Amino acid sequence: MVSKMKLARIEKGLTQEQLARRVNATRQTIGLIEKGEYNPSLNLCIAIAKELSKTLDDLFWEVEL
Amino acid sequence: MKKIQDERLILVNLKNIRITYVIQTVGIIGILGYDLVTKGLDGMRENPLWIVFVLSIVVSAYLSMNVSVDHENNEKSPRKGFFLSLIIVSLVSIVIGILTSLSEGFTFINGVLIGSIMFVCGLIPVIYIFYLRTKRQDSDE
Repeated sequence: MVSKMKLARIEKGLTQEQLARRVNATRQTIGLIEKGEYNPSLNLCIAIAKELSKTLDDLFWEVEL
Repeated sequence: MKKIQDERLILVNLKNIRITYVIQTVGIIGILGYDLVTKGLDGMRENPLWIVFVLSIVVSAYLSMNVSVDHENNEKSPRKGFFLSLIIVSLVSIVIGILTSLSEGFTFINGVLIGSIMFVCGLIPVIYIFYLRTKRQDSDE
């Protein structure tokens, strides 16, 4: 499953490296968040959401179908 | 060297420091244990590593008070705990002071001195815990 964050990032036309630089993180961290292998802090989530012009719900809320 | 800003790397770094700390502590205990076996208790205490070890244990104990204060339930009033601890510390110091002055080879002055040292050493953590508890209570309101 492709993460919502990855879709939003591609939609915005950013690479992992570019997004990482804007939120003061490393490319590897962004990659791990997209794969669901790292649990980011709320501060980092908010920074990513702002950079991608989305809300936290849009990026991280999983709706059970 | 650039300052690390990535939160994940900061956490990894902290874990690495923890591993280093464990290795250092094991090393210090090993050296002190060797000194204890070969030179006896007094020989071990002459090693400067003994002071390093004792200091790090004291600092670690004070830092963990910060954690345990947040962990305990906060229904009790800090003032009540403070006075209770104060009474216990005073009683223990008085008993130790009396026992010391009654021991052979020690004078009354020795007893007073040992008792007051015990009291001061017990008072400092009691005051620190009281400070932490009141600070936490203020932040709860």
